[in-house]
Amino acid sequence: MSSKIDKKPPIRSAAWRISFLATIAFACGTLVIFVFLHELVSNDIQRRTDTWLSGEVEVLGDVAARTPRNALYGRVVREIAELATREVPNKSTSTGNANDSVFFLQTSAQQQSQLWVGAGNGEADFEAIKATKFRPDTPTDVRVSGFPVPFRVACLQLGDGSHIYLGLSERDELRVLRKLRLRFFLLWLLVVFLGFGIVFLVTRRMLSHVRRITEAASRIGHSDLTERVPATQRNDEVSQLAHTLNTMLDRIESSMRQLHTITDALAHDLRSPLTAIRGKLEMSLSTTDNDEQTEPIVSAIEELDQLTDFLNKSLDVAEARADALRLTRTEINLSRLVETMVDLYEPSMAERGIRIRVSRENGVMVNGDEGLIHRMIANLLDNELKHLAPGSNVGVSLKCSGDIVSLTFEDNGKGFDPEVLEHIFVRRVKGKTSTGHGLGLAFVDAVVRAHGGTVEAINPEPGGARITISLPLTPEEARHQVTTAVRAA
Amino acid sequence: MRLLLVEDEADIQSFLQRSLEEAGYEVEVAPDARTAERLAADKQFDILIVDLGLPDRDGISLILRLRELGMRAPVLILSARRSVDDRVRGLEQGGDDYLTKPFALAELLARLRNLLKRNSPVQGEATRLHVQDLELDLLRREASRGGQVLQLTQQEFVLLEYLCRNAGRVVTRSMILDKVWGMRIVPDTNVVDVHIYRLRGKVDGAGQHPLIKTMRGVGYVLKDR
Repeated sequence: MSSKIDKKPPIRSAAWRISFLATIAFACGTLVIFVFLHELVSNDIQRRTDTWLSGEVEVLGDVAARTPRNALYGRVVREIAELATREVPNKSTSTGNANDSVFFLQTSAQQQSQLWVGAGNGEADFEAIKATKFRPDTPTDVRVSGFPVPFRVACLQLGDGSHIYLGLSERDELRVLRKLRLRFFLLWLLVVFLGFGIVFLVTRRMLSHVRRITEAASRIGHSDLTERVPATQRNDEVSQLAHTLNTMLDRIESSMRQLHTITDALAHDLRSPLTAIRGKLEMSLSTTDNDEQTEPIVSAIEELDQLTDFLNKSLDVAEARADALRLTRTEINLSRLVETMVDLYEPSMAERGIRIRVSRENGVMVNGDEGLIHRMIANLLDNELKHLAPGSNVGVSLKCSGDIVSLTFEDNGKGFDPEVLEHIFVRRVKGKTSTGHGLGLAFVDAVVRAHGGTVEAINPEPGGARITISLPLTPEEARHQVTTAVRAA
Repeated sequence: MRLLLVEDEADIQSFLQRSLEEAGYEVEVAPDARTAERLAADKQFDILIVDLGLPDRDGISLILRLRELGMRAPVLILSARRSVDDRVRGLEQGGDDYLTKPFALAELLARLRNLLKRNSPVQGEATRLHVQDLELDLLRREASRGGQVLQLTQQEFVLLEYLCRNAGRVVTRSMILDKVWGMRIVPDTNVVDVHIYRLRGKVDGAGQHPLIKTMRGVGYVLKDR
């Protein structure tokens, strides 16, 4: 049976679904956290850069203001600026030319470029700065044509109306952030896949416990109550479920055993005297040869046998009503059994002028209690024999469709008494004209139910009676159906 | 044949003892397991009848105990229980037999005979059966009476064979159902009687001395003399 369930592709399993959803939730959550952290880090880097720029531009402004405007002015400021550019924070070494990440520009009050320290001639930078509006004290992003990354530029106005600009490429900052993103992404992928794997394995393990419990429970439903669902040592919900189920089974088993004890005791207490009576009757029969004297003894023995049969059937029906009928299952060839039964009953039917015909499929196997199934079919044929008028027809058919075996007994007699048809399988219900003890069909119902099947009695058009018994082909099938039902629920 | 009957119910005990003695057994009776154990230790028995519900011990444990002590005689287990205990099944496989109360005496006797036969050295299986002027050829599945071949169906032949094998002894309806049709059922109609009636029509023809006799309330017997 487990193979049947295992055949399901893992992609459709509950474990897969759970781990998939958990992973999605985890991945989204970590992404949101990362975006937040990324923002925090990039803001922090920017703040540091800005602080540095503001500090440096102030120093430079100070130097520029104090340096006399002579021929040396340019050199002094350039040197100071070059010194400053060497202290660039977060500077990567890969750039080769140190100056292409930093520039210094001084413009006159007339917006003329006066001094340029940096890579190239500074034309493009100057144009870009001219096009940008600066707020005092706050560095601003400036896009310079020819550079893929913008510059962060701080501006200071000197007393004479000239401006000094200090620009720092954001290249290094962006590289740091890019590296951060790349590392995060790789780690994120790793963690997400690992997490998925772990969740999948753990859930699958847990669900396999549940599945084993389900399998065991359905097995218990169909066979013996002594079996228990597997319980693990851990005290989690699954093992609690198993424990609860097992406690419940303990209780069911004990009440079942009580019922068996009662029915066994009843059977024992009645059978012992029956044995003694029967034995004595047989003894007296063997000592008498007079027909007149033997007749009452013979009928007493026959009635005693019927009483015994009634007792057995009553107890079987009682146990079956409580779903406690004890079955000894074997493989039964139902086709052959039906054939043999009909052969057995045919002469009696013929004697009463009843025709019986069989239509059956070959090799229909049912896993069931042989004795009970024999008695069940005998019961139904006895019924036909007792209730049908001469000249009637009986049809027995055995068909197999899918997982269900259906055995039908049909006749063209008077049909069931409409008054009792509804409760026909209830114990002690019988038609007004019936001579039986009203247990026959209740017994049939009990046997069929104990085998996991159903039985139906109708008065079909245009007349007669029909009893249809449906039995599961094998208990495996029935078990599988239970498992599916549990899963569907 | 020495037989030990272990049964606590006085009523059953007395009628069984009488019938068994009538059938030719030398019967000793034990009302409980303790007595049975003592008797079995003192004497050799050919066969035992043990009731499962003994006052002092379970019948199965008594049988197992006796087996431990080296008793090898076959046992017929009597039980008033409804379901056949797994342990009984185990014993059944070990060569012992099982009968549910209430039972027909004829069936009890038949089972005893079977157990004894099973335990005795196997004789060559006969291919022909003779009962008076009735002859059955088991290989060709053919029956004849007084040289006249009988037109029997397969089922009728099996039934007649069963009667012949038990010639002179009573067989009950449930024994016939069990052995001929392989069914342990108690039909509340006369299905077996009709089969016997038909068979009798073929075997005991007009003017012939009737062989198949009905024992009312008990069963049938094929007369061997």
